Amino acid sequence: MLRTTSRRTGILVIAAALALTATACAKKDTSGTTASGVTTIQQGKLTTCTHLPYAPFQSRDASGKVVGFDVDLLDLVAKKLGVQQTIVDTPFEGIKSGQDLKNGKCDIAAAGMTITPERQQVIDFSDPYFDATQALLVKKGAPYKSLADLRGKRIGAQAATTGLEYAKKNAAANGYEIVEYKDLATEQQALATGQIVGAVNDLPVWTEYLKENPGKFEVAAQFDTGEQYGLGLKKGGNPELLKAVNEALAEAKADGSYDKIYARWIGTAPAK
Amino acid sequence: MASLRRRTRQRLILWVQYAVFVGIVALVAFTADWGTLRESFFRLDIARDMFPEVITVNLRNTVLYTLLAFVFGLVLGLILALMRLSKVAPYRWVATAYIELFRGLPALLVLFAVGYGIPTAFPNREIPGGVYGSVALGLGLTAAAYMSETIRAGIQAVPRGQMEAARTLGMSPARAMRTIVLPQAFRIVIPPLTNEIILLTKDSSLVFVLGVTASQIELTKFGTDTLNARVNSTPILVAGLCYLIITLPLSQLVRRLEIRYNKAR
Repeated sequence: MLRTTSRRTGILVIAAALALTATACAKKDTSGTTASGVTTIQQGKLTTCTHLPYAPFQSRDASGKVVGFDVDLLDLVAKKLGVQQTIVDTPFEGIKSGQDLKNGKCDIAAAGMTITPERQQVIDFSDPYFDATQALLVKKGAPYKSLADLRGKRIGAQAATTGLEYAKKNAAANGYEIVEYKDLATEQQALATGQIVGAVNDLPVWTEYLKENPGKFEVAAQFDTGEQYGLGLKKGGNPELLKAVNEALAEAKADGSYDKIYARWIGTAPAK
Repeated sequence: MASLRRRTRQRLILWVQYAVFVGIVALVAFTADWGTLRESFFRLDIARDMFPEVITVNLRNTVLYTLLAFVFGLVLGLILALMRLSKVAPYRWVATAYIELFRGLPALLVLFAVGYGIPTAFPNREIPGGVYGSVALGLGLTAAAYMSETIRAGIQAVPRGQMEAARTLGMSPARAMRTIVLPQAFRIVIPPLTNEIILLTKDSSLVFVLGVTASQIELTKFGTDTLNARVNSTPILVAGLCYLIITLPLSQLVRRLEIRYNKAR
C-alpha cells in the first residue's frame, strides 16, 4: 500500500513538473498602456533597440551612459508618452531585419537607420527625421578624391548598412575591393591601421570621428544618395505608438527642440 | 508475489519514462507556432538561391580557415608540449605561462588582437596571407594551448620503458622521442585532436571581426548576410546544416578511431 502511494506521488511529481515547464516558459506579459493610450512592451518604459557605437547618433559617453542624436529624439517621444526610455544594444542585423521588433525585444528602433523599400516590407517607419549622406573617409593627404581613384585598392564598409550597398553598387565600375566590417569601430580601426585605404559610412558619423581624431583623416568624397533616417516599429504592430512618434517629431520640428538637438550633436544647422 | 510485483514495478517505471518523453515532445510540438516557424525558417526558394555559393565559397572558406588554424596550432602545440616536458626550466616556464594565458582568453579577443594589434605595432609589415594568415594565427594561438596539453598527456601516456629501451639501443634522446615516443603518442591523441578540429570549425565563424571581402566570407556570415538581404531566417538553417556536413563525419571518425584504439590495446 505504502509503495503504491509513493509510486503515485512519483507520477504526480512528474506530471506537475511537466505542467510547470509548460507554464514557466510562457513569456510574462509586462506590457503597459500609457495615459495617452499607447501600449509599450514594458509598463512605464519605452524600450529602444540600437546598435552601438554609432556616434553622434548613439554612443556611450565617458560615464557609460548611452547618448546621442537618436537618444535625445527618443527622449522627446518618451516624454510625450509620459514614460522613461531604456536602450537595448543589439546587432544591427536583428534591427533592420525587423526580428527584434517582431519578437518584442523593443518598442522602437533608433539606430541611424535609413528608410529603404526592403526594410519597409518588415518595419513600419516613422516620418523621416534626418537626411543622411554617405561619405568616403581616407587618411589625411591620401591621393583619393573619388571612388574612381580607388581602382585596385581595398575600401571598408559596415555590414548590413546602406553605405555597404552603395559601395557594392559602384564596385564593378570603379574596380575596388570591399572589406566588410561588423561595426563602425572595427571599420575605423582597419582604416587607422592601414588595412583599407578608404572607409564608406554615413557623413555625420565621420564628422564626429574627425572631431575626436583631428588631423589624421579627411572626408575625400560625399555621395548624395537621398537617404533619410526613420525610426522603426513593429510591422503593423503598434499604430498608436507610430502616430505618437510622428506627432512628437512634428512638434519637435515646430517648437525648435529638433534644431536644438541637431545643433548639439551634428553641429551645423539643419537644411530647411 | 513479491517477484511479480518487482516486475510490474519495473515495467511501470519504464512506461513512465516513455510517457515523460512523449509528453515533452508533444508539449514542444503543440506549443510551437509551426506556421510562423515554417515561414521564417523553411523557405525552400530562399534556401535554393544560396546554392551553389554556400558550398563553393562559404563552406570552402570555413574548411580552409579551420585547417589553417589547425595546422598552425598543431605545430605550435607540439613545440609547446615538448617545452613543457623539457629539462630546461625556462622552457617549461614559458610554455606553462603561454598555455595558461591562451586557454584563459576568448578566441574572439585573440583574433581581434592579431587583426588590429599586430598592424598597429608593426605599421609597415603585414601578416603573410592576409585574412587567411591572420586567421591561422588568431585561432591557431588559442588552439595550440589546448592541443599542447593533449599532446603532452599523450607523450606521458607512452610507457617509460619505450624511451628507456630506445636509449639502451643507443638512440639519442631526441631520436628516441622522434621515432619511438611521438608516433605512439600521436596515435593516442588523434581522437582528442579530431575533436579540436570540430571546435575550430565552429570557431572559424569568428573571422568576421577581421573584416572580410566577398570571396572570404564563411558560413555563419553568409547566413546572417543572406538573412539581412532576404529578411528571413532560412539562411541560418542552411548554414547550420552545412556545419554538420563537416562535423558529423569528423565525430564519426573519432568514434571509429576510439574503437580501433581500444581494440588494439
